[in-house]
Amino acid sequence: MKQDRLIARFALEHSNSFEIITLFDGKVQREKLDKDNPVLKSISSRYTTATWFERKIRDDFDIKIVNAYDNRPLIHHERFPSVALMKKEFMNNEIKFSEYKPYKYESVKGDGVFEVAVGPIHAGIIEPGHFQFSQEGERILHLEVRHFYTYRGIEKVLEGKTLMEAKKMIERISGNESIAYQLAWFDIVMQASQNGYDEKLKKYHCMLLEFERLIHHLTDIGFIPNDAGFGAALSFASMLAEDTRVFLKELCGHRFGFGAVSFDVKDYDKDKIVEFLDDLDSRVRWFEDWIVDIPSLWDRLDTTGVLTAQKAQKYGVVGVVARSSGVKIDRRDGDFYKKYGFVLQSEEIGDVASRFKLRIKEIYNSISMVRNFIDSTCRVDKPIGFKDGEYTSFVESSIGEIFMFIKLKNGFIERFYARDPSFINWQALYLMMEKDIIADFPLINKSCDLSYAGSDL
Amino acid sequence: MIKFWKKRAENSIATRHLKFDKDLEEIKKELKSKIGKKFAGSLAIRMVSSGSCNACEAECNALLNPYYDLERLGIHFVASPRHADAMLLSGVVGVNMYHHILDAYHQMPQPAYIITLGDCPLLEGTFEKSVAIKGAKSLDLPIFHHIAGCPPEPKEIIEGLLTFLKHLP
Ligand code: SF4
Repeated sequence: MKQDRLIARFALEHSNSFEIITLFDGKVQREKLDKDNPVLKSISSRYTTATWFERKIRDDFDIKIVNAYDNRPLIHHERFPSVALMKKEFMNNEIKFSEYKPYKYESVKGDGVFEVAVGPIHAGIIEPGHFQFSQEGERILHLEVRHFYTYRGIEKVLEGKTLMEAKKMIERISGNESIAYQLAWFDIVMQASQNGYDEKLKKYHCMLLEFERLIHHLTDIGFIPNDAGFGAALSFASMLAEDTRVFLKELCGHRFGFGAVSFDVKDYDKDKIVEFLDDLDSRVRWFEDWIVDIPSLWDRLDTTGVLTAQKAQKYGVVGVVARSSGVKIDRRDGDFYKKYGFVLQSEEIGDVASRFKLRIKEIYNSISMVRNFIDSTCRVDKPIGFKDGEYTSFVESSIGEIFMFIKLKNGFIERFYARDPSFINWQALYLMMEKDIIADFPLINKSCDLSYAGSDL
Repeated sequence: MIKFWKKRAENSIATRHLKFDKDLEEIKKELKSKIGKKFAGSLAIRMVSSGSCNACEAECNALLNPYYDLERLGIHFVASPRHADAMLLSGVVGVNMYHHILDAYHQMPQPAYIITLGDCPLLEGTFEKSVAIKGAKSLDLPIFHHIAGCPPEPKEIIEGLLTFLKHLP
């Protein structure tokens, strides 16, 4: 039986109860819990990725989870005191560290089996996170991904702010997906102000989003071969990424697009965009032509880090990782985007090579979409008031589907929740390690290129 | 590989536009000579990200692309704090990173310099001190130099590193 895809599961606090919202693709379940003794029945035996959601609900709201196979804390690390930060009654601006409580990692036991701990601070220039391997010699027996080192408590901090005040922080949830988060925010702003989304403005926003995707994919098509020991690809692709970033700054004023999504379109030179895209297109084609011819590289990329379509579906993975395994989901897959040239790209095998090839295909598609998004400038009025209520939005970032939920009460944010695509995909990462050796880990991890900051919030 | 060398010959050295390159060249020259004098030609940096949005890290990665090519000047991002002369600290210093930063710092050979990167660590930008955000000052470690920006662009980071070197005793 095909299982519904779990998108998110999170808690809301009311004055007399808690409410758990569980969102599946196409249906929502809401469940009220007693405030004095909140107990939630786990769904993790059926939906594996519910595990992190439920562990987070427990840490954030002190809601007891029953029937779960994993009862360890998620956000509450070794020295994090047992306080439910997200409860309304918790209003301190500071927490005191508590005594060190060891965390019990998942591990495989047996003769000659040993563990390798990596992180939270990594060897390269990357965000913090922890990977715990159980090894039989070179072979990976099991990997546990442990995150939330970059936890900033954004959900809590945004409470009590207005939608407009929240913008700056929302655009800094995940630097690589800033424009995507801004689009989700903007969509909610449009819903709450009951203004229509001007088509010209939407085209501009979507153009920025495709630029963000281009930069992310271009960076990755350099870093993936680099992790297989082919540094020349990184040198070439990082130039393409840098050129695109410089161009994005010319277009919107910031290299990462911070502040770019607003109520007007800055005037830009249309011919320059076309010229830039033509040049980029030809250079990517050259890159592709060059790199397909390097057999020793494909020897590393092919059959490494496989995620089968069946498992991808079972775990409900999203974005690049899903499409590389043949699961054809993309939030852009609708009339609006199709009108401007969107074609859903996918691969079949789900290995590192598939994820690499998919990125190249998506680069071409983004380039043609940007061409179609070019239009004249426009300006819409800033909304004057927002209607209270619950709003949701979905945006396909360069990693995958972002889900955002905002509840407004008396004009202020009562609850903010965002689920980064990485939050789901991280939980499926260990599946890709089953047939591989530890030296392949950086390569496999890079091929998914997930966000730590977005997932940790 | 023949394709590559042909392309290489066509492209020669990566340049953006002349003014930018000229400025950058000047800074790089000075930087290289300072590193030569103060660190015997090799400055080892340990990057520690402590609750950033990842844009600051992305800009540090950009420093290694052919336009900026920082390694050529003798600046290396090293894999262990034990090899590092300086720690480049980005992010807000969140509750779950606090003790790990201290651990990393205490592994560094003295003199160890802390350079804060971006508006986050000193809480000068969007993020303020809040329940899960401690800020770099709370670490009670000597912060030697600060590079502002959200994120500071690669050129600003290079300039920042140069000022850092100038301020060294
Ligand atoms: S300073 Fe700005 S760019 Fe850097 S990590 Fe903080 S929010 Fe991101």
